[in-house]
Amino acid sequence: MPKNIIELKNISKIYKSEGGDTLALKSIDLNIQEGEFLAIMGPSGSGKSTLMNILGLLDTPTSGTYILNDQKVSKLKEKQLAKIRNKEIGFVFQQFNLLARTTVLDNVLMPTIYGNIPNPRKKAEELIEMVGLTKWISHKSNQLSGGQIQRVAIARALMMDPSIILADEPTGNLDTKRSEEIMALFKEINKKGSTIILITHEEYLAQHASRIIHIQDGNIVKEERAK
Amino acid sequence: MKFLTILKQSIKAIMANKVRSFLTVLGIIIGIGSVIGLMSLGAGVKESIAKQINSLGSTNLTITSGVTAYSKTAYMSSDSASKAQQNSSAMLGSTQTLTPADLTELEKISRELVINVAGYVSSPVIFKVNDTEQRETLIGVSSDYFALYDLKIASGDSLPESDVSNIVLGSELATNIFGETDVIGQKISILNTEFTVIGILEAQKESSFSNPNLQAYITDTNAFKLFDSKNYNGIVAKAKSEETVDSAKAEIEAVLLMSHKIDDKDLADFTVTSSKDLLSTVDTVMSMLTSFLAGIAAISLLVGGIGIMNIMLVSVTERTREIGLRKALGAKTSDILIQFMTEAVVLTIIGGVLGMLLGYTIGIVAGKFLEFSAVITLDSVLLAVGISSFIGVVFGIYPAARAARLNPIDALRYE
Repeated sequence: MPKNIIELKNISKIYKSEGGDTLALKSIDLNIQEGEFLAIMGPSGSGKSTLMNILGLLDTPTSGTYILNDQKVSKLKEKQLAKIRNKEIGFVFQQFNLLARTTVLDNVLMPTIYGNIPNPRKKAEELIEMVGLTKWISHKSNQLSGGQIQRVAIARALMMDPSIILADEPTGNLDTKRSEEIMALFKEINKKGSTIILITHEEYLAQHASRIIHIQDGNIVKEERAK
Repeated sequence: MKFLTILKQSIKAIMANKVRSFLTVLGIIIGIGSVIGLMSLGAGVKESIAKQINSLGSTNLTITSGVTAYSKTAYMSSDSASKAQQNSSAMLGSTQTLTPADLTELEKISRELVINVAGYVSSPVIFKVNDTEQRETLIGVSSDYFALYDLKIASGDSLPESDVSNIVLGSELATNIFGETDVIGQKISILNTEFTVIGILEAQKESSFSNPNLQAYITDTNAFKLFDSKNYNGIVAKAKSEETVDSAKAEIEAVLLMSHKIDDKDLADFTVTSSKDLLSTVDTVMSMLTSFLAGIAAISLLVGGIGIMNIMLVSVTERTREIGLRKALGAKTSDILIQFMTEAVVLTIIGGVLGMLLGYTIGIVAGKFLEFSAVITLDSVLLAVGISSFIGVVFGIYPAARAARLNPIDALRYE
């Protein structure tokens, strides 16, 4: 039995505003195992973005406990959160993933500005080779296609050997063919042992995952295993 | 976070918007440029005045009658008021108190301190030659005056010891009055006394203070008769060397106080000035003037700084999502703060360096036109870099703090 890399216990998130409080997440319990490929699905406004922000330590829950890689992270200070984001989480966003006018190599090296790993350049080159962009290593981000940009983002996400890779609609701006290529890349990375959490609203993309959870109105309403 | 990486990032961000960055630092360039320009011009003017003063002879001590502003104040203080009453001649600052007897006393000072002393009395007078009249400066001089100022006779003879009515003319003055004709032996009528030209001086280097080439010289005894006076306007003493100037000055003061029978140095009815004193006065005035002008120029630095702040704020807004991304990748609040601060400081230092070059160009070009050399000092270089980075810090901190405070979620979502 693989260990749980993420344990969410009773996680709630309330957004306070003048018009009244909004309960974005209602007592979520969720365990994610090491090496799992989890898809989180739900319509917009369901709370999946809030869940992603909490999982990615970009936001803190109002109540509940979040244990990431055996460390309780739900009540940490911003400085410690930044450090964990750097070491433990690899982000792939839907858009604006890369720094403009910056080379593929420098984009992949970006996390190493904020944390140290041995021999970062060699590692970056290996990862760029893995995502098939060695030829473009010195190209600037604005010279790349949408699919290539996402590949650079994936290489960057792997740079610090994170516990989880958090992909938020990573193929949202790509056509079906390119989307499938990106998903194949995620699957390949997953096979090598990385834990991947994919947030999407496309059923056919979610089918690549080993487990799918559906969120609606701040609750997990359905959970399915891959067939 | 590594310093070199930050620096590289900052330069890249600045170079990404070259025109905008240049326009932004223009205010700093102009500000630093005018401060440095004025400072180097000021230093240049100071140096050229110092040269002029030294051309008077750095070992010359000038004794003038009358009191200094400082000792005048001393007269006004109550405890010395009664003393001052007794010394009524000294009360009148303009009263001339330097007599031939003083000169004789001063001549007794050891040659180890003072090698030469000369008195002079001068006045503008009407020169009457044939039927033409013109106004010229006539100086009555004691016997050592020519030697002291190194004035040499070009033709004819020097002034005689006796009180024969002879006159020596400066080279330019001689040509002005008599043209190309033979000057020696010509007659000039001054205040109804007829003088015979006995000699012409060699052309001398003029200074801003006096032009010996345009003056006429007679003996002091003749001058006293002519002007109906018993006093010199001033006495000049030449110290043996620059090292003995201060002790010579003290000795002269002591001798004169004794001969004037004054006990309190503060009540002296004469003033001894060395070129060093003059220099320090000029120095003070020029420094004040320079800092005043540089201060005005510094206002443009303030305006430039506000420009930097404005552009940095725009830049923070434009790069909101970059900030969000960096935070997601592990940048701490302090990392973002340092990044934007560095950008502002690099920007202003670039402005400072360019401004420095502009300032020197101004100094050199203006110096060419005004005929003195602008002086570039290390002080001004340090000042330029120091002030510009200070401006970067002061005006960069607010935009940088705004960037650092951004919430990563909002920043990533920012459209």
